[in-house]
Amino acid sequence: MLVDFEVIKRAQTGDSAAFNEVVLAYRKRVLGTIARSIARPEDVEDVAQEVFLRLYFSLEQLRTPEVFEPWLYRLTVNAAYDYLRKQRRRMEFRMSDLSEQQVIMADAVAGGKIERDVQYHKKIRESVDSILGAVSEADRILLMLKEVDGLSLKELEKIYKVNENALKVRLFRARQRVLKAFGAASKGKSPDNGG
Amino acid sequence: MRGSDEERLDALFRAFRDCPTPEPSVNFMPTLWARIESRQRFAFSFRRMAGAFITAALALSVALGIYLALPQSNQAYYSQTYIEATANSNLNTSDIVGPVLSDLSDPGR
Repeated sequence: MLVDFEVIKRAQTGDSAAFNEVVLAYRKRVLGTIARSIARPEDVEDVAQEVFLRLYFSLEQLRTPEVFEPWLYRLTVNAAYDYLRKQRRRMEFRMSDLSEQQVIMADAVAGGKIERDVQYHKKIRESVDSILGAVSEADRILLMLKEVDGLSLKELEKIYKVNENALKVRLFRARQRVLKAFGAASKGKSPDNGG
Repeated sequence: MRGSDEERLDALFRAFRDCPTPEPSVNFMPTLWARIESRQRFAFSFRRMAGAFITAALALSVALGIYLALPQSNQAYYSQTYIEATANSNLNTSDIVGPVLSDLSDPGR
C-alpha cells in the first residue's frame, strides 16, 4: 500500500486533503498502467483523470481499505477498456502496419543492443501496440497487467473477480494469439486474426 | 522457431516494461479537481431539477385528489335511472310510435 488505511478511510468520508494524498500516491502507477494499455501517450493523462474522477465518486462504496489497490486497478482497467472501445475505429496501428523496421527493432531488443532513447521507446510502444491488435481490448489489458506490470494470478483474481483457472485459460489464449501475430509479422505476412 | 518467438516476445514485453512511464503534468491535480467540481455541479443541478419535478408531480397529484374528492354539482342527475332520464329528456316530444287507428267500416278505401 502506498498510503495508510487511515488516509483512505478519511478520503471515504469526503476529506479532500486525504483524497489529494491518495491521488498523489497512486497517480504515477495509474499513469503507467494506462500508458501501457493504450497506444496514445497524449490521452494517458486524460484517462488517468477519469480513473480518479470515478474513484472520487465511488470511494464511499469501498467496503474496506484493505481491498483498495485491486479496486483501483479495476477502475483503471475499466477506464482503459472504455477508452480502447471508443478508439477501436480510430486505431492507427494495425497488424498489417507492423513494418519490417519494427520487426528488426523487436529482434534488436532481444539482443539488447540498442541505445534507449525516446525514439527507441516510441518504436517499442508501436511494436507492442501493433501485435496486441491480435487480441480484444479486454485481453489486451489483461495481458499487459500480467506480462508487463507483472501482476500475479492471485492479484488478477482479485481485480477481475474470476477464478485462477479461468484467468489462466484466457491469458494462455491471448498470449497464443499475440505470439501468432508476432511470428507472422516477423515473417512479413499478414496474420490470421481468427478466434 | 516457436520457442524463439516466445523469447523475442518476452524480450519485447520486458523492453516495454522498461519504457519510462509518463510523468503527470503540473496541471494534473487542478484539472482533476476542476472535473470533479464540474461533475458535482451537474449532479447538483440534476438533483435540483429532479426535486422540482417530484414536487410538481406531488402537487398535481394532491390537486387531482382534492378535485375528485369534491361532491359533484350534478349528482342528482346521475341518481336517476336510465328510463327516468330518457323520459325527462323527451317530455315535449310526441311518441314516435303511436296507436294504429284503423277504420274497418269502410272497406272501399
